[in-house]
Amino acid sequence: MTTPMITVTPTSIVMGRSKGPSLPLPLPGSQSDTGSDAASSIHHAALYRLMTWLSPSFPVGAFSWSSGIEWAVEAGDVSDAKMLESWLTAMLAEGPGFCDGIFLCHAWRAGAAADDAALIEVAELAAAFTPTRERHLETTAQGRAFADIAGTTWNCDTLEQLKRIWTGPIAYPVAVGTVAAGHSVPLDLSLHAFLHAQAANWISAGVRLVPLGQTDSQRVMAALEPVVTSTAQRALDASLDQLGSATFRADLASMHHETQYTRLFRS
Amino acid sequence: MPLASQDTTQASELFAANRAVGAVTFETILSGGTTRRGRVHEAGSLRVRFPSPETDGLSAVLVNTAGGIAGGDRFTVTIDANAATAVTLTTAAAEKVYRSHGPAAEVGVSLSVQTGARLAWLPQETILFDRARLSRRIDIDLHDDASLLLAEIVVFGRAAMAETMRDGVYRDRWRLRRDGRLIFAETVQLEGDIGVKLAHPAIGGGTVAVATVLIAPADQSVADRVHELAATFAGEVGISAWNGFALARFCAKDAADLRGDVMRLLAQVNASALPRLWLT
Repeated sequence: MTTPMITVTPTSIVMGRSKGPSLPLPLPGSQSDTGSDAASSIHHAALYRLMTWLSPSFPVGAFSWSSGIEWAVEAGDVSDAKMLESWLTAMLAEGPGFCDGIFLCHAWRAGAAADDAALIEVAELAAAFTPTRERHLETTAQGRAFADIAGTTWNCDTLEQLKRIWTGPIAYPVAVGTVAAGHSVPLDLSLHAFLHAQAANWISAGVRLVPLGQTDSQRVMAALEPVVTSTAQRALDASLDQLGSATFRADLASMHHETQYTRLFRS
Repeated sequence: MPLASQDTTQASELFAANRAVGAVTFETILSGGTTRRGRVHEAGSLRVRFPSPETDGLSAVLVNTAGGIAGGDRFTVTIDANAATAVTLTTAAAEKVYRSHGPAAEVGVSLSVQTGARLAWLPQETILFDRARLSRRIDIDLHDDASLLLAEIVVFGRAAMAETMRDGVYRDRWRLRRDGRLIFAETVQLEGDIGVKLAHPAIGGGTVAVATVLIAPADQSVADRVHELAATFAGEVGISAWNGFALARFCAKDAADLRGDVMRLLAQVNASALPRLWLT
């Protein structure tokens, strides 16, 4: 049983998969809607689902991963709000944020086009594109959890397609991109929401570890908005050949975290 | 303006004609229990030499007779290590990548290692001059229980001349497959104001050189052996093992320190790994 996609009417759910997003789209059960009411209904549904899937309460266990920030704090590379902002700016723009954004885009497009070969390519590349054991575990554990929970509560044809054609580990952005495409949640919104959630989760880790106050935490969140915006724009335009990361010392932090004596986080 | 456009065309043709192209392709074969060179193909300014046979497999030394790499140059190296052979490859000298205002230099490396074969890819440093533009691809295919030891060192700027790399392009795309399955992929990408980026704590923290070592097959015990060396490293060194291989990363504020750290790690994971050329 698949959850109704934003795109589809009850009839087309019965008929099977739609051929990807085709805006403007009627909300499920409101097929006669036209004009701005329908458009805002679609936005509301997209927003509702993104906020659900990428909320800290969606049970993928995001709170238990720090992408090596726990070591960066231990080593003194991150010890106040400014340093956290700087560290995360690089993680977003020059590291895993940018790369995961590209993976999400390509998974979304492959899912929307029902392109098996493209979906396998991005699934395989994303699962291999990690610099350390813990970062590999971080993305594949969350990806698997997201696919399992969405399969139960927000199932869609593209997710079933992914599970049918790819039996290897599923990277988190691939799982999110695939499900978002299946629900016809617009790509640019999905990408922004994903990068926002990643930034918020990293900040949450930093706040607990440094520790920082809630006001500082929100200052960093506000400061990272333009970084998320520009990173998302670059990821939207990028081919898989334009993937690239430069965060050597963030990679080293993740490696050192494996042997860190006292740990709150799994990465 | 036809004249100007003609000049431009001539200039770019001249530029293209002056760019070096080099290719080395060879395979290793097992003969009477000893690894020997099989078919060898050389083109352009790239050569491969096989110094006197050593006990632990075949040694191969790449020589770039062009004396360095300039923008627009294209070099490819293709090695096929046949079943049960052992080969160690290095370079005669550090490879210099000169400043370029035009296209990036392109380097492509393809390594195929068959069942029971061992391949060590241990070139000396690649030195990127300020405003160098380098785009490199390394594709490795391991078959069955084949093993790989790979080290790449990149120095940003000519340290000996107190030059740092402020600007340029460095793209390094690696793909590692075992039995056709992709087990590791990364693309390092530093473009534009590289000097500023390398100073960033999450990127280089002021590093002047980086290195990556890949070891396959490898498990946690390999990482543990490297952890035993922690106190002896001059720069920052980390290692992680997953998916049946291990990856080590190095950053240092001194290029000689980094080379020393890489040598220490290689000696710890494989005592016979270091080519003699590294020691001179």
